Amino acid sequence: MKNKRFAIVLDTKRCIDCKACTVACKTENHVPLGTDNYRNWVGPEPLRGTYPNLGQTFTPSQCQHCSNPPCEHVCPTGATTVTPDGIVHVIEHKCIGCKYCMTACPYDARYYNEEIEAVDKCTFCSQRIYGENGQLPACVETCPTKVRVFGDLNDPNSDVSKLLAKHPSRVLKPAQGTKPNLYYLI
Amino acid sequence: MSSFLKHRPSLPLWLGLLSIGVLIGVAGALNVLINGHAQVYNVTREVPWGILIATYVFLVVSSTGLCLLSSLGHVFGIEKFEFIGKRAIILAIITLLCGFGAIGMEINHPIRLAIYAIISPNFTSAIWWMGTLYGLYLVLLSGELYFLMKGMHKGAFTMGMLGFIAAVSAHSNLGAVFGLLEARPFWHGSFLPIYFILSALVSGGAIVSLIVYFNYKQSGTPIPQKYEAFFDTLGRLQTLFLMVLVFFVIWKIIPGIYGHPPEKYEATMAMLTGPLAFNFWFFEVLLGLLIPITLLINPRTRTPMGVMWAGISATVGIFFMRYDLVIGGQLVSMRAGTADLRDGLLHYVPSITEFAIVIGAISTCLLLYTLAEKFLPLDADEH
Amino acid sequence: MSRLIDKKLSRRRFIGLSSCTLATAVVGSQVKVLRALATSGDISAPVAGKDDSIFTTCGMCVNKCGVIARVRDGVIRKLDPNPHFIKSRAMLCARGNAGVKVVYDPDRLKYPLIRTGARGEGKFRKATWAEALDLVAKNLNTIADKYTRAGVMFASTEGTYQDHFFNQLAECFGSPNTVRHPTLCLSSNIQGFSATFGTNPTPDVLNADYIIMSGANRSEALITPDSIDMLKGDGGRRKVIYLDPRFTKTAAKADKWFPIKAGTDMAFILAMINVIVSEGLYDKTYLQNNTVGFDKLLPHVASYTPEWAQDECEIAADDIRKVAREFAEAAPKAVYYQGRRSSFASNDTQMRRAMAILNAIVGNWDVKGGMLPNAGIKLTPHDYLAPWYDDVPERIDAGSVAFLSEKDGSWPVVQERVLAADPYPVKGMMIYKQNVLSSVPDRAKTLKMMDQMDFICCIDITMSDAAWYSDVVLPEATYLERQDPIESLGGPVPVAVFRQPAIEAQFESKPCLWIMQELATRLGEEIAETFDFTMDEYIHHQVKNNPQILTDLKEKGVYFERTEPNYGSTLGKRLKTVSGKIEIYSQRYADKGLDPLPVYISPTKIPAGKYRLIVGRHAFFTHGTTANNAYLHEIMPENTLWLHSAAAAQAGLTHGQTVKVRSSVGEETLNLEVTDKIRPDCVYMAHGFGVLSKGLSNIYGKGGCDAALIETKYCPISGNAAMHETLVEVVPA
Repeated sequence: MKNKRFAIVLDTKRCIDCKACTVACKTENHVPLGTDNYRNWVGPEPLRGTYPNLGQTFTPSQCQHCSNPPCEHVCPTGATTVTPDGIVHVIEHKCIGCKYCMTACPYDARYYNEEIEAVDKCTFCSQRIYGENGQLPACVETCPTKVRVFGDLNDPNSDVSKLLAKHPSRVLKPAQGTKPNLYYLI
Repeated sequence: MSSFLKHRPSLPLWLGLLSIGVLIGVAGALNVLINGHAQVYNVTREVPWGILIATYVFLVVSSTGLCLLSSLGHVFGIEKFEFIGKRAIILAIITLLCGFGAIGMEINHPIRLAIYAIISPNFTSAIWWMGTLYGLYLVLLSGELYFLMKGMHKGAFTMGMLGFIAAVSAHSNLGAVFGLLEARPFWHGSFLPIYFILSALVSGGAIVSLIVYFNYKQSGTPIPQKYEAFFDTLGRLQTLFLMVLVFFVIWKIIPGIYGHPPEKYEATMAMLTGPLAFNFWFFEVLLGLLIPITLLINPRTRTPMGVMWAGISATVGIFFMRYDLVIGGQLVSMRAGTADLRDGLLHYVPSITEFAIVIGAISTCLLLYTLAEKFLPLDADEH
Repeated sequence: MSRLIDKKLSRRRFIGLSSCTLATAVVGSQVKVLRALATSGDISAPVAGKDDSIFTTCGMCVNKCGVIARVRDGVIRKLDPNPHFIKSRAMLCARGNAGVKVVYDPDRLKYPLIRTGARGEGKFRKATWAEALDLVAKNLNTIADKYTRAGVMFASTEGTYQDHFFNQLAECFGSPNTVRHPTLCLSSNIQGFSATFGTNPTPDVLNADYIIMSGANRSEALITPDSIDMLKGDGGRRKVIYLDPRFTKTAAKADKWFPIKAGTDMAFILAMINVIVSEGLYDKTYLQNNTVGFDKLLPHVASYTPEWAQDECEIAADDIRKVAREFAEAAPKAVYYQGRRSSFASNDTQMRRAMAILNAIVGNWDVKGGMLPNAGIKLTPHDYLAPWYDDVPERIDAGSVAFLSEKDGSWPVVQERVLAADPYPVKGMMIYKQNVLSSVPDRAKTLKMMDQMDFICCIDITMSDAAWYSDVVLPEATYLERQDPIESLGGPVPVAVFRQPAIEAQFESKPCLWIMQELATRLGEEIAETFDFTMDEYIHHQVKNNPQILTDLKEKGVYFERTEPNYGSTLGKRLKTVSGKIEIYSQRYADKGLDPLPVYISPTKIPAGKYRLIVGRHAFFTHGTTANNAYLHEIMPENTLWLHSAAAAQAGLTHGQTVKVRSSVGEETLNLEVTDKIRPDCVYMAHGFGVLSKGLSNIYGKGGCDAALIETKYCPISGNAAMHETLVEVVPA
């Protein structure tokens, strides 16, 4: 069977910065409390314009699950690795906690989890998507306005493939050559 | 100043001070073991590498420098440098081990490193190569020391030659640990591997001047003519290294600000005018470069004592060069909205525990070297 | 799962035993009917899907979204949105997700507590339930004997579904003095719209093409499904116009934001009406057939020109004209969204009237994309005969405002009159989860009111400020640990929901029903009799005419009869107004001596050096109840005072500086946030901080409390507190 290429397509115009995705992620993935500990986030971008002509955009993000992931290249013990379906993840017992991947990631997508004693990051909620009910990642499912759409880019009929076909999109920091798999609709 | 040196601390006081330093380090290490890294270190998810990484780089740059300088003698046959062999190599081993200690305290699972670096190596990782090459380098240094202590010159030469190659490989590779990170424009590129080798020479020159000076100072006898000449040569050589280093520093800065290259510019400005500016101008430029060059370039101050003072000044400066390099590369946030609103930068100040471990690592170095000096026959057998 | 059933059975047995003693006294009560209907006792057993997934309803805010609790090894691991729950479009917000930490919160109340130190000192001792309940009953009876039963006031929260039991106890105990949230919330809104339409309709946000929101901050003060529906979907041609003195996240999403001068919304609305009627942008036949008093509206709004409004609201006359024309153009798929929010000014009811009239004249009543009447799911109510007490006077706030709610009263009036013992003393206070010290304006006054009480009992899940000042604190089981009755959530597409326990109640916490039953037992046979039922019996009775409700609730966590509003169901029929039509002119108001058409009152001028204090919400907090939640606390660890950058520069204040905010009733200290996201004549602070209770360990000592600054002002028609009429000064701390 053909491998999947999981991706998320985001429509930031729908994001209201309510933080549902960040709390859902923390509870789903047992991310410890603490302001440094998180797998995903909503970045309020700086206020545009001057009063009273103002504008602001909210950009949710997380690990980009790059096709060319620098974190994987730099990991000395191969603790960071990529599944055949394109999920970049950390094999906890191999992680030496050197945090090289954290300095290598251009998206600040990683943190050191003291509870699991390893660097931790978004896994597209693999426990959910491969679970027996085949749930969506927590951030995708819980979102009030459904900013994120999750799916398989190798399936031309998936929602993500259709959205990317229909709309122009961008990725974050394309010049890094990381080939991210989080797409932002323009 | 010279009167102060004449009344230098007696050995017991010196050992006592170093022991306190070591104990401070041990207390820091215990604090980490008991409370965990996150609780006692000030490193964050965005500035994950702190002063311990800087200290590690400083200590291994010293080790590499000592190896390179000593190889001038017994590898490249520059006779004036031969007598420093044993002392330089033993200190190279000590600084390397203490460097490993510092990084061992920074990374969370050094034991996993030992296991998985062997059974699950990742050959694209500069840290894997760093560990491997420095491991090899340690073996070669130990061999070299063994042959030197046994007076087996052929073996020492072979080991020295291989050690030289390992030192250059390992240290330029350490530069690559930073230089290969495309995400960090302040570090990225071929500059750091090359720069690291040069700065190792400066470090080595500075520390060798200290070893030789204090060795003879301690013996209480006036410095013989022969060593006066050695200091003169070392001083001239060090001037050259330092001037090349100035050239490197300038050419690191200019591309960092010219045309405001994204992220590189902010990091460079953090160093020139931002939170690292005092470190840069006072420690790096004044202590690290201007004072040593001034002392060394003038024949009247290029005395053994002048060279020694230049060495101390440069060594302190180099520590801050490492610190600013490691921290500066991380101060620019990887994404909008997380940095401090005032200066647009992230912030890092080492915690007390981090300082304690740095004090411990450096004290251990000095203590071990003092003991080696006391108990091992380190004077070169004249031949 | 079987373990949970066992647990439930033992709980049932316990209740059964306690009611046994009363069984003989039950004669001719409704309870027999209830009991007869209860068949299997199957409700109390959690209906688990796969992997112990339990359908229930969120209890974090007013929206009550569908939740699936994922339980493993007796621990709630995750709360997921219920995909069947159409009202919230299958979502769960930050608070909903953070509900896990409501259960596993080190700060939660674990045992009944009895105060040992002075009030507010925070010294309590652990007590047994029997001891605590005996003490409560004793005090209630003592106060009743001394001051009549009106001497005990009952303040209740909303949305736990068990608040009905609390209010039932209040009624059966015999106190007329019950207060709830509406007069701190939306009672003026309900009043103004009901006076016009006979009901408070719901805007069809999903289908409206043109939406004007006045201060209803839907991207932060989340209301389902409006918060979701207001965002444009594929191919949407919706336009959102947003009026707020603050640049909120709704402003960020709106097509146009007007930083309207606080308290002048009515001027904007009247000017819009002026444009629409003077330019003839309405359907005359429609108005003639469906409304009364349109002819009186024409002369009434003649002077309310856009040019006049421009000076009042500081929105350009041309912009007002443009919005009015676009609104009329988009009608009937155009709504002036009244939303659900607290009221800001003491003329709020008339402002809501103006909103309702504007909606009415563009003919958006009960059409797609317009203002829709609400419906509910029919449940059989639990009837009981409340005992009658001859000597109980009428409500303490009776006669204070034009339209006082019999059940809810007017909180600001109650606060003032209890304090003045006018016309009679109120010396006892029963509180059910309403954090009165955080929600009622003028905290110092509320504290004085509590100080003069002989006895205060608070039922809550954490040590709220109200609990902190109570004499007896009773720990309630959280919404994830209770079986709650079925509740109908009204709206154009009504749904029915209930709650099932995901896990056993932790520590010694108990559901409200159990606490009420135990209290009732101690308060006398007549009261106890009205509570002689189990939750099973109660729920089966609720669905006796439609058992499908319970089946659906068990199978998919929600029951609904349609997925689309039933458009036009009221057209051509009598509305619930006096005339049966939409009342532009209100004879009812005229009869009461009130303005039959909304008359504008300009807000007080703000003197130099003062700012209007405005309130507002964030999507991650519910009023004064969730700021201490560990997950939510991380998002906003403390509140700040927003001040416009120009105003800050003028006052010589800088970003991050600690400042004192002073009103005529209080002073609070917090950090200044200099921002362009607010009008220069206003300051704003988030609600829920500056707490008094040290039992809220995450937020104690953090930020400032808005309720400590807001003066007691209220609407003379609805009794609704006016939140935006307080002027403050800001000085460096």
